[in-house]
Amino acid sequence: MKSLSKRKSRLPLVALLLIFAATLTAKAQGARIQLSNLDHLAARASETVDVNIDERLVQIAWRALSSNDVDEAKVKKIVSGLKGIYVKSFEFENPGEFTPADVELVRSQLRGPAWSRLVNVTSKKDGSVEVYMMLVGDQISGLAVLSVEDKELTVVNIIGPVDLEKLSKLEGQFGVPELGIESKPKTKN
Amino acid sequence: MNEEYLWDKSGKPDPQVQQLEEILGALRYQPRPLEIPRELVVARRRSYIPILMIAATVALALLAAGLWLRMQSQKTSPSSVVETKSTVAPGGIREDVPTPVVANDETLNQRPKKVSVRINHRNSSRNPLTASVSRVKKPREAGLKPNERQEAVIAKEQLMMALRLASEKLNLAQRRTQLSSPANLIRNQHKVG
Repeated sequence: MKSLSKRKSRLPLVALLLIFAATLTAKAQGARIQLSNLDHLAARASETVDVNIDERLVQIAWRALSSNDVDEAKVKKIVSGLKGIYVKSFEFENPGEFTPADVELVRSQLRGPAWSRLVNVTSKKDGSVEVYMMLVGDQISGLAVLSVEDKELTVVNIIGPVDLEKLSKLEGQFGVPELGIESKPKTKN
Repeated sequence: MNEEYLWDKSGKPDPQVQQLEEILGALRYQPRPLEIPRELVVARRRSYIPILMIAATVALALLAAGLWLRMQSQKTSPSSVVETKSTVAPGGIREDVPTPVVANDETLNQRPKKVSVRINHRNSSRNPLTASVSRVKKPREAGLKPNERQEAVIAKEQLMMALRLASEKLNLAQRRTQLSSPANLIRNQHKVG
């Protein structure tokens, strides 16, 4: 009888844990932006880059990355734990091939409360670059980059715990800039 | 009829019985050795040894032929690897896949490039892309299944390109942020929603 009452008292705790886990999973999945609505631009683009790497492919690619190669080892560390990487980039011959409505289809998804805009640089001449992040607690669960130029539209969506410190270590190697989020100040040579 | 005589030849014999005995006595059993007629040919026991020898010879010949063919194919395989790396030759087709290179400072400032992998159709029994890629990449992806290997190579290339593009755009954001005023930077780093 006593054990039964103990079990009953644990039930809400288990339920809460399950709800918490489900929320975390949903948050991780929520970092995925729908990019398929940009597919129609591919017909007009002179160059299209379409990368769709889901969790399974990330794991396969992770296994294919060499730990002996210095550069690949760095990438391997960053890729570890990622749930997906999605990129759509269109380059056009002439300006005006895509409309602000096309950009808005992506931007509207990043206006949700889960996303934080980290950087937004707009220029009439050079277009705009926006960097968004999704945070779950202290951990980053998603990254989105939206770059709009006259003849180019690029959207990058990385899902999963992007380690900014590891990402910042790629600076100079992959051109990953310091975004001012790093805990320790870095001195440049 | 004296039944004793019929039973054990004791008592007075019956003349009719005696007569019958005399008539049938010519046919009674005469012990003599068995005579086998000469014309009768007894079949000899069948031997499987020659058949086995023939079978073994055929098997050895097949084994030798197989080994020879394998040696021949091993001799020709290095040239096929070279072909997969070379430029397009007659009979080959091109397929665009993203560049597999790790980006460096020089490549970062360039647009994402595409590299062509030639598919050799000479070995038509297998998937040509799998064949060509696996030969080149086999040592690195040793832990992967053959069907996963091709997928892994493409995924890795795409991954590298995606990261390169992501870092390129982040770099662009940083450069533009640095060009902007500090006040502008602070203004732009706020939570939306």
